Amino acid sequence: MSPSGSAVWVEGLTKTFYDEARGEVCAVDGVSFQCRPGEIFGLLGANGAGKTTTLRMLSTILRPSAGTAHLMGHDVVSEPAEVRANLGFYSASTALYPRLTARETLEFFARVNRYPKELVAGRVEELVHRFSIAEFQNARVEKLSSGMKQKVSIARTVVHDPPVLIFDEPTVGLDVINALEMQEVIRALKDEGKTIIFSTHIMSEAEKLCDTIAILHAGRILASGSLEDHRRATGKHYLEDIFVYYVRDGGADTGGVAPGADEPIGVLPAPES
Amino acid sequence: MVGRGDNGKRTRVGGGVLATLYRYELTMLLRDSRTILIAIVAPLVLFPALVLMSRAVERRDQQRVEEATYRYAVIGSEADLASQLIERALEMAEPDSGLAPASFVEQEGSGADSLVRVGSLQLAVEGLSPEEYRRIRAGEAASEDSDGVDIPMQDVLPQVPVIRLHYRSDRDVSRAAMERLRARLGEVRRLHRDSVYRAHGFPITDRVGVLESRNVASAAREGGALLGLILTPLLLFLMLSGGSIVAVDAISGEKERGTLETLLTTAAHRSEIVNAKQLAVITVGVAVTVINLLNLLVYVVFGLIELPQNLAVDLSAASLLMLLGLFLPLTVLVSSALLLLSGYAKSYKEYQMYFFPLFLLFILPALLATLPGMDLRSAIALVPVAGVGVGVREVLVGEHDWPFLALAFLSTGVTAIGAARLTERTLSTERLISGADLDQADLRGGPDLFHRRVLRWFGLMWVLLLLISLWMGEELGLRGQLLFNIMGLFFVGSLLMIRTYRLDPVAAFALRMPHPAAWFATLIGAPAALVTGIGVAEMFQRIAPVPERVLRSFGEFAVAGDPMPLWEMVLLVAVVPGIFEELAFRGVLLHGLSRRLRPVPLVLTVGLLFGLFHMNLWRIPPTAYLGTLLATVVLLTGSIYPAMLWHAVNNAAALIPVELAWVTEDYQLPLWAYPVAAAVLAAAFTVLWLTRRPYPVPGRPSTASRAGGRAPPRP
Repeated sequence: MSPSGSAVWVEGLTKTFYDEARGEVCAVDGVSFQCRPGEIFGLLGANGAGKTTTLRMLSTILRPSAGTAHLMGHDVVSEPAEVRANLGFYSASTALYPRLTARETLEFFARVNRYPKELVAGRVEELVHRFSIAEFQNARVEKLSSGMKQKVSIARTVVHDPPVLIFDEPTVGLDVINALEMQEVIRALKDEGKTIIFSTHIMSEAEKLCDTIAILHAGRILASGSLEDHRRATGKHYLEDIFVYYVRDGGADTGGVAPGADEPIGVLPAPES
Repeated sequence: MVGRGDNGKRTRVGGGVLATLYRYELTMLLRDSRTILIAIVAPLVLFPALVLMSRAVERRDQQRVEEATYRYAVIGSEADLASQLIERALEMAEPDSGLAPASFVEQEGSGADSLVRVGSLQLAVEGLSPEEYRRIRAGEAASEDSDGVDIPMQDVLPQVPVIRLHYRSDRDVSRAAMERLRARLGEVRRLHRDSVYRAHGFPITDRVGVLESRNVASAAREGGALLGLILTPLLLFLMLSGGSIVAVDAISGEKERGTLETLLTTAAHRSEIVNAKQLAVITVGVAVTVINLLNLLVYVVFGLIELPQNLAVDLSAASLLMLLGLFLPLTVLVSSALLLLSGYAKSYKEYQMYFFPLFLLFILPALLATLPGMDLRSAIALVPVAGVGVGVREVLVGEHDWPFLALAFLSTGVTAIGAARLTERTLSTERLISGADLDQADLRGGPDLFHRRVLRWFGLMWVLLLLISLWMGEELGLRGQLLFNIMGLFFVGSLLMIRTYRLDPVAAFALRMPHPAAWFATLIGAPAALVTGIGVAEMFQRIAPVPERVLRSFGEFAVAGDPMPLWEMVLLVAVVPGIFEELAFRGVLLHGLSRRLRPVPLVLTVGLLFGLFHMNLWRIPPTAYLGTLLATVVLLTGSIYPAMLWHAVNNAAALIPVELAWVTEDYQLPLWAYPVAAAVLAAAFTVLWLTRRPYPVPGRPSTASRAGGRAPPRP
């Protein structure tokens, strides 16, 4: 485990891009948070807030410009392969190989993620049943409907039984039924003891699913805590209002002071485990 | 198994992951039936069809030409003589042509020349008296219609009639008729000459001797030499096209489908991913090559393709092993390069766009190796691909030059490993992993986009300049070309860029006042730079000697045409380029590139591009040198004006001494002039450095140290 016993431990994580048009762009600016084992940690933010960049650094696709992050005690910079072995990463942009069958997809990802060879067949069998893939397990992915692909994708994410799962905006582009199914899957995975980082810009999802909600805006975490913590701190009930309170009313637009709040922004401490 | 982890450390890597990646890569490829069909099956079917067709056409053509009846007419004032000669020519046996006997039929002669032109006759034989011939040739010369005539006027003897054969080179039957009749007429002429000599007592059969040449190369050596010419380019062609089937899909295809990100979040190491993909590229590249070679062999065995007679290649087992050894690094290099391309391209389309230049990059050195006189015992062994090409040639003719073969192996092998490492890096290069990110600059346009487009603009200008100099160089003359290129192309181009990208003219042209000391530095620096520039040009000439013609062409060009008064010459050659070339190169180009390049690469790039615009290999080094110095002057002074003066003084100082005949064109500077000039130049740049006013880089805070923290390059 990480220094404080967290499943995920992020300290001062920063990502600066050099964009030819804009010069230096700080997409993620000193983000720190921790996830307790077995909780659903929500990153709530508008498009461009830095959610995906943060999660890509956690999954070692991007290299942090500054700061550190540990996942199950492994450093994302010095032990990237170990980090990824402990991680399942799902996002709308992680597609499947069209010319593999559903079953082959699961076998492939189990092996590539170094799941013990002798257990692969049993694990694939288990997931095929659990996610109701059995009836189309031998069809090529390119022939599957989007709902079927979603099931295979989730099964692919968890096939090597990683302790930490990242879902980056998993419900983007899904219809209501599929989105609800996704939420149920995430809740079920939490019940199995997985630590889940979940990013979204949909307030109701965060309200329903997350144990901890961090509000990310312009690359910074403005506040972090449980829904109740946020309600207490802001005096607002709905997450939407809480979000707007931090992001707009409390932001630079109104001079940096939230109306009716006597505390400056961003002091709400992340809950210690 | 030990490999490198993503962090560059050596870590234990499971062979199982690599094997899985490799196996699935091939599985997926084999399931792509369209690719298999187009890339492998189609050539196998099309190739024999093409061979058979071309052979059938070739045979038919040959038969048609051989069996044709050549219709000819005899015309002209010396028609009788021509008829006699033809009669004798047709009586004699044809010199060995290996063709079926020709049948010539004479036809009615009026307007024969035009009948040949129309095509109803194959040949018109015109007998002409020498005077007539002279008149006709003079008339043709006046109307510039003498291109088709193949004897120089001075070869026509005063008393000898001329037999002219009119034919059409675009009709193979007409051409064959001419060639076959001409060969026999030539023979008639030779026999006649010999009999005349003999009649006058010349003993021509003794003391002349008979010539014979005998080839001492073994058939195997000849065959090896022939095979050596085609083997490497052929294998490269097959491997590049075969390997590309996998490579395009391997990374750029994965990016396009969004599967790369999925793969990169698995526990597989980057090196495992690259190695597995590389193995797949090699497998398919080699498989396609072998399939095609076997295919070729089938045609050879069944006689569909005829090999040159007596072709034999005698390869010992050791030679064969050595060939395989040489092709091994080449195969790895091909796969590395294809994969690197795939890693660099963000989509299929981009890959295809880059493929052709990459293809040339391989094929050209391979062809270089086939040039006559290429010897492995030279720097060519160090050139990747070319070294292997030459090595293969030498092994095939039975020469084993061990140290140089090893060098060729290493140069290609090391490049292959370097390319594979670079490919791994593309998988960690964020910009390349996800291609779909919104590009702000494209949306906003304006100055944000300019620094990315500036090279395209100058590329376009270069092409225009090339076309102008190729097509209109002579018509425009010096005056026209200078005005058109410099004022038209450079200045209008610069203004267009400023307008298109909404640039601030003051910043783009660097229209700022320099420190007063810069003027002094310029006045002493420019002549010194000219002298050192001449030194650069002369050093380059040691490497690539200039043909005399090229060396003087500029001078001749200036002298030819209407003579120009000196003031106009100075204006056109010194002042106008000084102003307008500076605005374009040290103004707009430097401004655009300054945001992308650090000072040293910046001045070198501006200098090199300036040199390339001079369109002549031997003028590139001195002009690139001047361009580099001028770019440094602008960076140090923050202003275009000293560079303008410097450029004008440079050109004037090169021109005036010759124009005023103070020195001749082949004047050689004394040797001491170079170190003195270098010292003066160093002093000039010291002054510029001490009084520097930094060049502001757009989009970045300007600092004095950025603007020119180094001495200018010296000759």
